This record gives sequence, C-alpha cells and structure tokens, in this order.
Amino acid sequence: MRQCEVFASRFGCMVAFNSELVVEKAQRYYLLNPRLKKILQLDYYYAGLYLGKVKNGMFFPSFNLLNMLVSVAANKIVVDQKAAWLFICGRDVFRAGIVKVMGSKRKGDATLVLNEFGECLGFGKILDDLGDSNERVAVKNVLDVGDFLRRETRDRF
Amino acid sequence: MSGKQFFVERYAQIGWKFKEPQFKLSIRINQINAKAKKIPERLRSLGVELEKVPFLQAGYWVIKSKASAGATAEYLLGMYSIQEAAAQIPATIFTALHSKMVLDACAAPGGKTVQLADLMENSGHIVALDVNKERLGVMANHLERCHISNTVVYSLDARQATKLNRMFDRILLDVPCSGNFASDSEWFSRRTFADVERNAKVQQEILAEAVKCLAPNGEIVYSTCSLEPEEDELNMDWAVKNLGLQVQKIDCLGADGLTEVFGRKLDPQVAFCKRIWPEVTQGFFVAKLKKVGAK
Repeated sequence: MRQCEVFASRFGCMVAFNSELVVEKAQRYYLLNPRLKKILQLDYYYAGLYLGKVKNGMFFPSFNLLNMLVSVAANKIVVDQKAAWLFICGRDVFRAGIVKVMGSKRKGDATLVLNEFGECLGFGKILDDLGDSNERVAVKNVLDVGDFLRRETRDRF
Repeated sequence: MSGKQFFVERYAQIGWKFKEPQFKLSIRINQINAKAKKIPERLRSLGVELEKVPFLQAGYWVIKSKASAGATAEYLLGMYSIQEAAAQIPATIFTALHSKMVLDACAAPGGKTVQLADLMENSGHIVALDVNKERLGVMANHLERCHISNTVVYSLDARQATKLNRMFDRILLDVPCSGNFASDSEWFSRRTFADVERNAKVQQEILAEAVKCLAPNGEIVYSTCSLEPEEDELNMDWAVKNLGLQVQKIDCLGADGLTEVFGRKLDPQVAFCKRIWPEVTQGFFVAKLKKVGAK
C-alpha cells in the first residue's frame, strides 16, 4: 500500500506490504493475516492490524504502523522520562530532553520518538539541527500516543 | 415494580443481604504487549500501587495512585487495560483458545475482545459484533492501542450472527443486560422490572442465534453484570430446556448458581453457573455451555 510505504520512507526506511493482504475501507487501511483474509466479508467495520487512514489527501499513520517502523526506521530519537511525559501530553521535544539521536539530524526530516525503554511514543518533525546543543524546541510533535485519549472526545471513528 | 426496596427484597429472597460494595479499580496486564516489561514495577515508579487479584491470572487492583491509571504511557502503549475484576473472568473460562475461531457477539467497547486476543496471543481469529456506532469507535481505538491483529469487527446485531455463515469454536455472549447498582449509583432509580424482563427476552434471542453458529464440540460462555435471576439462572434453565445446551462445571470466583428462584425449581446443572455478588468486585454472572451430545 503506497501511502504506508511513502510514509515509512520519511524515516529513512523502506517497507513493503503484500498488497493482497492489505484491505481498504472508507480510506482506512488494514493489514490482514492470510487466515483473516479468507473469512473477511465486505461489510466489515475494522479488520486485522489498522495501518492508517487518508483524509483530505493526507496520510495519518496508526500506532501499529509506527511500531512496525521502530525496528527498521533510521530516524529515531530517545527521550528522557520527563520529555517522554510531556511528549505524550502533546508537547514538543526540547534538545535537553533528548538522550540519543539515531539517523537524520536534519531540519525538516521526520523522526520516531522513543522512550528510554525503546517504545514508540509517536513521531515528530525535526525543527532544529539536532547536533546543536541549544535549549530550543528540537522536534515538533506531530503525533503521540496521548492521541488515544484525545480522539475519543475530538472525533468519532 | 421498581425502586431500591423492590430489588433489595428480591435479593433477600434469593439469599443475599444487601450491602454497599467495596470494590476497587482494577487493571489487566496485556501479556502479549507487556512481556518482560515488569509493568507493576514500572507503575509503582509512577506512584501507582498494585495488588494482585488472587482469583485472576493477569488482574491487579489499583490500591493507590498518584497518576491516572488510564493516562500513563504504559496504558497508552497497550501494556494493560482498565477492566473490572469480575469482568475479567468470562474470557478465562474457555478451554484452549489458541488458534480457535471465536465469536464475541456483543463486543463493544472491546475490553473482553482484547482480553480474548491476548489469551489467544493474536492467533486464530475473533469475529466481534456490535451495533452501537459510538461504542464501535471506542472498540476500534482499543484494538489499535493494544495492537490486536486477529480480529474482524462487524456492525451487526448478535441476533443476526447466522448472517456471517460461519461456525465458531468459542462464542462469548457478554450480553446486554440491566447492569447492577454497584457500577451505577443511579441504578435503583433508573431500572424497573420491565427492563429486566425485556433484557431477558433479548438475551434468549441472542442465545438461540448463537447456538446455530456453534461448531461441534464448541463452547459458549454466557455472562451478564445483572443480579436479576431472570437474566441469569432463569435464562440458563431456559437454554438447557429449549436449546439443547448443557451447563459445564467451571472453576472461578463466585457462589454456585441458584437452582430454586422465587419458588421455582430449576434444572440442577444450573448450579454449575457462578453468581458473583457485589462485594470485592462488581456483581456478575457467568456460565459455560456446550451442546448436548458434544464430547
């Protein structure tokens, strides 16, 4: 599925899905296992592993997809406990909260944001050169797992 | 026929003296997402003190909490779910869930669906049904948060499950019910006996449909959070007599099912059901059923 693959490339990695196992419904994409594919009927509401949705021409990844990228993505930052908490509250990441940078440090690139356990909390956009040791916002929050709390009041599935 | 006095007198007639429940918030560790992650220790470092629920494999009571248990990173990463302790019992009653074809017929908001997927380690598959659009949305979020990959959800009434043209090895019927006062402080003023009777009828319709989808040697687990015998033992008695089902012995928290209700004698196997009065958990009722003739 093209949108997922293009999205993954923003993190410096290539992923490929078996197109026969990816299904789309109402511009939402799901990855099935072969057994699930066999029993799936057309009028499903949700199926298998949700990968993301396209809305107004933009791709919005699921946290399943972000998790799949953790092991293959080049661009990742690890943040400390305080920065991790602020990030899942929707805040940006300051340089001081970053423990480790992997992959791109270039302004404008996308990077996964991991906590100290290596768990993916979401992703952001590098705003400032991560090699710089200043105290400014370094990574702008694009999506974080706190969205699970926000979306239930913000929008309906 | 409604009001606190009416219902409390009914409970006294079936052997339970009313008392205010003392149950605590509980969580269930999602084993597939939390493997080797020492969740109780991680939560403790956040000021969330847990105590193992003695009758559950993955359940913990939240004893003290400085943080909201529903807003930690561990929760948002799907390592645990907030699920009432008694509500964690039905999914654990099934025999051998791994690789099975499972129907969760009244699934939203998905707490038990996620638990089933966890017990199945995302093997086999689950077909989850519900008709409430808003709750289906909550279930979709729940499935994504917990990284469930073996489930298909349909917006379909459980009473139309045969439309799927599938037979299932395991069927969970956590049926819509009247609930109970332990989880709803307004319950006594909101509920009437007519509600109970109406729900009991819907539950019978769901049971009848589920039997048609049950594979040979399959199992149905029936549960409610209602304390009313019409939705519990009387429905099980009806299922034994009208649907050719047998109630199976189960080993879990709870008193034996009632076999005499308001002067009416029920089939003796109804005693194999478990009735959980609201004390350390909210009120619950659970039973395991098999088709007569199945091994």
